[in-house]
Amino acid sequence: MEQTILRPTAEQRYANELTALACWDQTNPKPENWQLSPRAVRLFILGTPKSQPLELGGEPVTIRKKYYGNDALVERCIITLAGNRGLMLVGEPGTAKTMLSELLSAAISGCSTNTVQGTAGTTEDMIKYSWNYALLLAKGPSREALVPSPLYVGMEKGILTRFEEITRTPAEVQDCLISVLSDKVMNIPELGNQGLLFARPGFNVIGTANTRDKGVNEMSSALKRRFSFETVQPVGDVALEKQIILDEVGAMSRGAGISVPLDEDAATLLATAYHELRQGISAEGMRLKKPAAVMSTAEAVSVYYQTLMSAWYYGGPEQARHLDERALAENLMGAVAKESREELAAIREYFSTIVQKKAEQEGGAWKRFYEAGMRLK
Amino acid sequence: MEAVLRGRNAAEVIPFDYDAPILYYPVRHHSPVCAWHLEQAMERYRPELVLVEGPENANDLIPILANPETRAPVALYYAYRDDTGLLRAVEPPKEDLPPESHACYYPFLDQSPELVALRLAERMGIPARFMDLPYGEILAATQAGTGLRKEEAAASYASDSFLAPELLWKRVCEKTGTRDFEEFWERYYECRGFFLSTEEFVRQMNAWCLLARENTPRREMEADGCLARESHMAGRIQEAGQSHGKILVVAGGFHLWGLLHPEEEPEKHPHVSRDSQAVYPVRYSEPAADALSGYTSGMPAPAFYRKLWTRLHEDGADAANAWDSVVLDTIVRCGRRLRAKGETISAYDEQCALQQARGLATLRNKEVPGLYELQDGVLSAFVKGAANLAGCEPLRLLREINTGNQVGELCRSDLVPPLVQDFARQCKKYRLRQDSADRQEVTLEIFSKARHRAESRFLHQSVFLDCGYARRDKGPDLLHGAGRNLIREHWICQWSAGVETALVEHALWGSTVSEASTHLLRHRLAEAAQAVDGAKLLVQGFLMGLGDAADAMAHRLEELLLTDGDFSSLCGACGAISALDAWQVQYDERGSYDYPALLRQCFARILQMLPSMSTVDDRGVESIQENCQLLYEITARPSFADLRAVFLEALEELIAQDPIHPALHGAALGLLYGGAPEKKSLAVQTAAGYLRGTHDQKLRAAAFLQGLFRTARDLLLVDDIQLASIDALLCELEDEEFIALLPQLRLAFSYFTPTETNRLGRQAAALHGQKCLKDGTTMVSPTDYTCWEGIDAWAAQRLEQWEWNQAEEGDDQA
Repeated sequence: MEQTILRPTAEQRYANELTALACWDQTNPKPENWQLSPRAVRLFILGTPKSQPLELGGEPVTIRKKYYGNDALVERCIITLAGNRGLMLVGEPGTAKTMLSELLSAAISGCSTNTVQGTAGTTEDMIKYSWNYALLLAKGPSREALVPSPLYVGMEKGILTRFEEITRTPAEVQDCLISVLSDKVMNIPELGNQGLLFARPGFNVIGTANTRDKGVNEMSSALKRRFSFETVQPVGDVALEKQIILDEVGAMSRGAGISVPLDEDAATLLATAYHELRQGISAEGMRLKKPAAVMSTAEAVSVYYQTLMSAWYYGGPEQARHLDERALAENLMGAVAKESREELAAIREYFSTIVQKKAEQEGGAWKRFYEAGMRLK
Repeated sequence: MEAVLRGRNAAEVIPFDYDAPILYYPVRHHSPVCAWHLEQAMERYRPELVLVEGPENANDLIPILANPETRAPVALYYAYRDDTGLLRAVEPPKEDLPPESHACYYPFLDQSPELVALRLAERMGIPARFMDLPYGEILAATQAGTGLRKEEAAASYASDSFLAPELLWKRVCEKTGTRDFEEFWERYYECRGFFLSTEEFVRQMNAWCLLARENTPRREMEADGCLARESHMAGRIQEAGQSHGKILVVAGGFHLWGLLHPEEEPEKHPHVSRDSQAVYPVRYSEPAADALSGYTSGMPAPAFYRKLWTRLHEDGADAANAWDSVVLDTIVRCGRRLRAKGETISAYDEQCALQQARGLATLRNKEVPGLYELQDGVLSAFVKGAANLAGCEPLRLLREINTGNQVGELCRSDLVPPLVQDFARQCKKYRLRQDSADRQEVTLEIFSKARHRAESRFLHQSVFLDCGYARRDKGPDLLHGAGRNLIREHWICQWSAGVETALVEHALWGSTVSEASTHLLRHRLAEAAQAVDGAKLLVQGFLMGLGDAADAMAHRLEELLLTDGDFSSLCGACGAISALDAWQVQYDERGSYDYPALLRQCFARILQMLPSMSTVDDRGVESIQENCQLLYEITARPSFADLRAVFLEALEELIAQDPIHPALHGAALGLLYGGAPEKKSLAVQTAAGYLRGTHDQKLRAAAFLQGLFRTARDLLLVDDIQLASIDALLCELEDEEFIALLPQLRLAFSYFTPTETNRLGRQAAALHGQKCLKDGTTMVSPTDYTCWEGIDAWAAQRLEQWEWNQAEEGDDQA
């Protein structure tokens, strides 16, 4: 597929897989207006084993596993969306909440772009509807003059509406969801007798909210009651985290035209370091200081990718194949020291205790990583 | 062995044929689906004899287990003492080691296939027997540190660790998308099994078990004693085959292959005498049987599966209905209990949870929602906001509900030790619960109500017998001399399976709780090596209301007092006897023994030794100070006033010693001044000597002041010891010296009341030209305060546990 936009939507990226799944899915029961059955949605997100690919036009199509770490959570999300309540994904930043919500809407509704991007400046008309004022003045309030916003679109078409960062929007704006979510009807008083929009089957809301940031607006309990909450945890397994880093960076570098095999050692270093710093305990059981910064897998991916890009553009294919540990350590420091320089102390301590021990025991990449880390100011 | 399954059908490897003379039925312990199909198989096969996997030295107890009056959970408690050295390694052990001893439980729940087989056999009038090696011989066939010989508090015979070799289940879970072995098991066996024919279910069971066996290294099976047991069981089956036509063999699925192909000759096992092994039926509890909270491995959530089992046996219930209704029932129960705790869980939430559970079952290709769908449903619908899986309330509560709190009941039988029966009677008498594993709190007004006093005595007896049933967390503590101002005792009682086994172990001491306590008390007194142990046992006897028995043994204490040469032990004994003497009236238990005489005897021994304690080291000095104070307090009682003079003489002798520890010097001088005010000048002079003496002497002044202020702080308040000289000392000290003395100084001034320290502070400030003290207090924010309070509570809890352990160790030594 020729790529003309920076980041295609999930339904574009996985069009092939979705079509194959739709073919496979003929006989499975599905809720009204869903593009795929719950079973197929599950397969789309959790993937098929390599040995059992689906078929599309005689070609085998392997469904790639797209979300790692907690299969049961994905299953719960799908069932929640088939039910009467909205789905609220909460968790630390960088735990793939948005990706999960995107994949779910792509698979269920075939559309992941019907999205409210919540900010402190979000107003009610960005969620429900606003007006084309020229038409409004010319023709008076009519459906023609109404500009639907994502919630309206979702209800009208019977598709999912995504609401990103819901806790960043002011509480009074959040509350406009309350009655819509329980009554499944939106009142548009300007349209008079035709001013009732009944939601079609298939409509639901996926919200995401992060639990780390300060200065957000806590949801009212009335709104909470209308959602089922799912807490997305950081990946708990180092090997898995390494695999995610390699997969994600692989996809990004292919998109950017960087064509070298990835350095697995570097991925191991990063996955281990991020895992240990996040948990505050090393693989050997030593306690260490946790940095206050977010230590998500997404951060690890961007540290890796950044290192890879500088090696590719400033060095060459050889440098990109074996990433320099010093650059890796520098980028790690840069990623952690977002809020204050005090964070650096935690990283230094990590280098001088845990990494040193690993360098002594395992040598190789760990030794170079340690030396690089100790040279940093 | 490697080729067990390859290319062959499990049904061919382990046949399951209703026409065969022997029908092998595979089970997993506590699995309802195994039990359900077992019932069907038994009805159809109509065996003449049922052989069940279980140590055969419990054969006599089968009628109790199968009795309709017996309510599960119950267990068989096996105990073994290695008198003959069967378990010893090759090299002879050291002489003084006691013989190795082991114990294990074999728990039975309503849904345990083994119990179902025994009960059904009883109903059908078929004989049933256990067929495994006796417990002692299993131990002999097991390598040290593995299987039933693991160093655990209480092992379980019903462990099914072999059923899921780690490599195998990890691979299988990955393939099936399940979180752990239990979820896999539930999906493919517990749930699906109900919708299969018995033959098909048994075939699938055997397929898994053979796979598990193929993935278990032979040496593990050998170490565990598995092979020896299997060959014994195979021998028993063969023997039975000669006298019975149709035999049903109920054994762990893992063992069936071994039963059909035994490897070792059964004769080679050593014979264990009946005396060194014992087995009793005991009541058991659901929390103990839960793989997650108890100490057995096996099926989790016993209460959940128990409900399923009950529902399956209701009229007209089918399997799908039973699962669904148990899930619904649990959701509703959980919701109700959360509401009672003040959480806002609506009926709609409950609906959503059920919907989620059912939806997930369909998505996961399960016929019915099970335990894991229930958990997911509750997590989705009841948890509002971020949840960490381990810590959130709805899940915790759900786990509690699924674990259950039921305690079994044994039918009336002579085989239940009378001590256990008496314990149950006493609990009933005092309305102490033992039919549930929940905590019960009891407050007793021991000084005003005779009934409460009697109850307290019973609880003290249960503590003495190490039942682990009751724990006193508040109340006067005579043993440690604390809480003497309290007039109520507060107890926490909680039944667990360990209570009954502790009673069983003490059964030889007597047939009632008080009789057993009396005999054990006598035994311990006879074995006590130190005066303090003897005296503490007397106190325990006193608290247990066994004064007479204790009195009869008091002459033993006299001997100990004469032979004991340890100062602190004698002082401990003195404290205990003094407490007894002082509390007799309040507890309304006047002993016939002459405690004052005993106390005097003890006192005399201590005074003899007191002067020689002058060279005590820093660690021991505080306890000597304490002991001196105790002696001083005793002489303050009118009945012992005549001892005051001798005590003061001993103190004078003590301070005349050179060298003497400064802290002890100070304390002794203080007491001397308290007993004889004319000694004031001596105290003041000595203090001045320390404060203005040579540099070395000055460095010891802090310890001296600590001792002195402990016993006579008024000397500073009335300005006999000049604050100025202390101040001068402090000014002279180098920084390092000051830091070294600081702890002692702090301690020294901690004996003053806050008003007094404030006054002293102002005086000290005046010496340096300040009118008042600088405000040294810092503001504490509420968050910090809450945090510190939390830490304090945590530490207190830890310390309490630690003290407990200490106390238990103390008892053991006694």
